Amino acid sequence: MNYDRPELLDRLAAEYVFGTMTGRVRRRFQRLRASLPAADVAAVAWEARTGGLAQSVPAVAPSPGLWNAIDRRTGGTGAAPEPARGGGIGAWAWALPLTGLVFGVLATVGFVRLAPDALVPIDAIVQARGTLPESYVGILTDTTGAATMLASSTRHGTTMSIKVLRPVEVPEGKVLQLWALPRGAEPFPLGVVPREGKDSFEMPETSEKLLSNVPRLAVSIEDKPAAPGTEPQGFILTGHCVKLW
Amino acid sequence: MSSPADLSPLVARVALGDRAAFRTLYEATAPSLLGVALRILRDRGRAEDVIQDAFVNVWHRAGSYRETAGAPMTWLTAIVRNRALDAMRSESRHEASSLTDDEDAMADIEDDRPDALALLTQAADALAIRACLATIDGSQRQCLALAYYRGLSHSEMAAHLGSPIGSVKVWLRRGLEKLRRCLERAK
Repeated sequence: MNYDRPELLDRLAAEYVFGTMTGRVRRRFQRLRASLPAADVAAVAWEARTGGLAQSVPAVAPSPGLWNAIDRRTGGTGAAPEPARGGGIGAWAWALPLTGLVFGVLATVGFVRLAPDALVPIDAIVQARGTLPESYVGILTDTTGAATMLASSTRHGTTMSIKVLRPVEVPEGKVLQLWALPRGAEPFPLGVVPREGKDSFEMPETSEKLLSNVPRLAVSIEDKPAAPGTEPQGFILTGHCVKLW
Repeated sequence: MSSPADLSPLVARVALGDRAAFRTLYEATAPSLLGVALRILRDRGRAEDVIQDAFVNVWHRAGSYRETAGAPMTWLTAIVRNRALDAMRSESRHEASSLTDDEDAMADIEDDRPDALALLTQAADALAIRACLATIDGSQRQCLALAYYRGLSHSEMAAHLGSPIGSVKVWLRRGLEKLRRCLERAK
């Protein structure tokens, strides 16, 4: 084929972007796109042109585990320790100067002030407002009183972030389970936490709904993630759960 | 869906290795993107695999994002659609479309609410090009919708519409040309 003809490239790009090509033809166009800048330009133009068509497709909530899988594959939790880049409370002090710089460059402070908290990273809120966001925070200590784990979640968020300050010994095949200890009620499981490093998990409700009546948190070692209604084995870490506002 | 102004700073920060921004970008866009992938793949597990691969790719390639690729959401949508279409085409059953498969595909489409054509119409409303879309012949419009939202190939579309593949190719080509003019008017 004579790919010097712009109209041919344009037509192929349109069919590629719309998805009508068979696998074999698709792969051929992908190779062409990688080797011929004009083909790539034509495809990008069609992608840009048609981007607005996707907005009518109803959104579907991803499974809670999807983010964790992405996080792991991009060197987040469980990877070799690296400088903290935001997320946990301990990282904020480190992140502030960089965040400020980046935000200055991007001139987006106005956006931060206007946008809902849900769309803005915590360190951006801190930078723009000069205060920590409304959050629930728990510092769990071991039996010797040493601070071992930090649990934090924004007041109206559903993500619980965990930072392990001191690695926890866990027998092979067992899990560390975080519990909420509400006033005048039985403990209920919140999620599984890591033995070291950082991780996060999604809760079924917002922190406000789950934790407003929870003065203490605790961690136990369990055979498997605890189901609601089950009782904890003995606690190895406990701590206060406080409202940060 | 977030406006482009919301997402551009996030993409810029992801390019700098900002994990919090990456998470925020994920939370703001993954549900819409999963919807798009699920329409094409019809399988939640495989659609989530596509989203997972797409975001890993975004983490490593955010620095290559250019505004010429459209708004960030457009760029993300293109990454996800391309991966979903690749995954769909890698299934042998879609390479050679048998009558049975096409009947299955048809049943799926009929179960779909809203269907592909309705999605195209809604998108046209949002882009204020409904009047322009209405000037496109019905068969052409249907081909465009089945291709974009379902990722159907020429032969699958021909079976679905009960028309010769040659007609489908012509409808699609003419439809694309008209849709291009409509979309360029939307800008």
